[in-house]
Amino acid sequence: MHNLKRLVVNEWLKLFKKRSFFVPYALLIGMSFIVGYVIHSFAAGMFGSVYDFTVTMSYIQGLGQVVTIMAIIGSSGIVAKEYSQGTIKFLLIRARSRTSILASKYITALIYGLSLTLATAVALFISGSIWFGFSGAEGRWVDVLGSLGYSYVYTVVYITLAFMIGILTTSGGATIGITMLMLMLDKTIIQKEFYKYMLFPNLDLSVYTDGGAPLPGMTLSFSIVMLAVYVLLFLLAGFVVFRRRDVA
Amino acid sequence: MSQRDVQQAQHEREDIVLQMNEVSKVIKGKAIVDKLSFQIRKGEIVGLLGPNGAGKTTTIRMMTGLIRMSEGDIEVQGHSIKKNFKSAIAHIGAIIENPEFYPYMTGLDNLRQYERMTDDVDDDRIDEVVQLVGLQEAMNKKVRSYSLGMRQRLGIAQALLQRPKLLILDEPTNGLDPAGIREMRDYMRTIAEVEGISILISSHMLSEVEQICHRAVVIQNGKLVTVTELGAENSVSEEVTLTFRVDAIEPAIAIAHGTEGIQVVRTDFIRDQLTVTMNNKNVPELVGALGAAGVGLYRIEENRQSLEEDFLKWTGGNRIA
Ligand SMILES: Nc1ncnc2c1ncn2[C@@H]1O[C@H](COP(=O)(O)OP(=O)(O)O)[C@@H](O)[C@H]1O
Ligand SMILES: [Mg+2]
Repeated sequence: MHNLKRLVVNEWLKLFKKRSFFVPYALLIGMSFIVGYVIHSFAAGMFGSVYDFTVTMSYIQGLGQVVTIMAIIGSSGIVAKEYSQGTIKFLLIRARSRTSILASKYITALIYGLSLTLATAVALFISGSIWFGFSGAEGRWVDVLGSLGYSYVYTVVYITLAFMIGILTTSGGATIGITMLMLMLDKTIIQKEFYKYMLFPNLDLSVYTDGGAPLPGMTLSFSIVMLAVYVLLFLLAGFVVFRRRDVA
Repeated sequence: MSQRDVQQAQHEREDIVLQMNEVSKVIKGKAIVDKLSFQIRKGEIVGLLGPNGAGKTTTIRMMTGLIRMSEGDIEVQGHSIKKNFKSAIAHIGAIIENPEFYPYMTGLDNLRQYERMTDDVDDDRIDEVVQLVGLQEAMNKKVRSYSLGMRQRLGIAQALLQRPKLLILDEPTNGLDPAGIREMRDYMRTIAEVEGISILISSHMLSEVEQICHRAVVIQNGKLVTVTELGAENSVSEEVTLTFRVDAIEPAIAIAHGTEGIQVVRTDFIRDQLTVTMNNKNVPELVGALGAAGVGLYRIEENRQSLEEDFLKWTGGNRIA
């Protein structure tokens, strides 16, 4: 466990030491304030309080998807860059298993996604409290956490997908390209029975909050199971390939 | 087997740092490395010598677990790379082809990466290896700004960090200028001395291997050609080839033919020269016989086939870069 922790520290430093590390945080924080200001200026009645604002803007349809995009871009190179830079050679000739090295990378990508989600949430909350105030504030923390949870699940699935594609293609560009294409298409719903077993209609768990469902017969637990299955499949493919592949 | 033989065998096994057993790598039906076996002993500097494309890098990639072996196994300090990778690799430090680091990090931050991947290595050890390769001044500079020679040195520091028993360097002087090559050679000598470890150096240049290695493992098309001791030129071999310049060639030839164990290789009537191969210990006898017959001797030269010629012969000459 101690060894894995040290590997995660390594991976975090590889992200953190880049000069561009703070750019996505700055963008997301900036957007949180601009969105608050714009809505306050042109549609002041839209949100009753800071909680309303934070919950709605954290959803995938708000800034949630932007967080996901930043997380994909930021973590796309976590495996691929090692190959393209050639640093994979020094990385793999240590007394550490390929499994634990890859696991540390995945954990780091998840932490990175979480840090973007939380930074955005905090910025949204501050922005919301400036423009919309605290009236009618009782018991709404649960909604904020729920909204963040749905967005983070969405981000985790995409990070996992990008992680697998990064391993399979060993190219950061291809990883971003393919994952973003899927992200743009994931709102399309095909009204067919088989489609509920696909990844896309299950991605947004927030649709179940007001009793709706993307397709007939779909429930929250059904989607959670489907997402878990897909995430495990992506991880399985990634780990098997990474463990077996010749590094030439 | 007597008690003593058992001890002897035990001792020899302990002395072997790396053992290659019939190792092959087959890619798309082609054997890039073909049933390669050799060993590296404690404290030895071994050259892995072969022309470009001979399979040196492929061999080293298998030693370090970067690629799988199709057949055979490699043991490092008795641990199998296949079955017990972590224990085996713990004894190896290596640079494979070019040393690649995270360019946006400092030399120190790069070394700290590998420190965190190794048990029982602390900052003191980092200082130690940095001092050994003379990079103290550059430790807080970004690797992006390093020259190739500096990156090679950082590569060596990285490889030595975990106190390996075997240091593997793949064409360490590639791309360096003559001063850099010389520097590299000095580092390797120092390391072998200071750290007391075995070193495997791959190279396509005989001269490089000749200057520093105790032994050369010559490979060609993935196959073992020969293993040869180096620095053995000064020892006296059994068979010698000598050229005599005399004042009278005919009686000299007659004497050579008349003496047992001497083959006449060449005669040169214009320069009055006679070339023979014979056992080293019979040389005084022949010289005496020539003297007794009144044949005047101007000079005797030894014809030594150089390692260079051998290497060209082994590897098919023109294919050497
Ligand atoms: N992944 C690979 N696929 C196919 N052929 C390869 C691969 N890697 C190396 N080779 C071939 O194997 C041979 C040996 O390569 P290498 O080990 O790099 O030689 P060296 O290091 O001695 O110059 C070369 O002919 C090379 O083209
Ligand atoms: Mg090579």
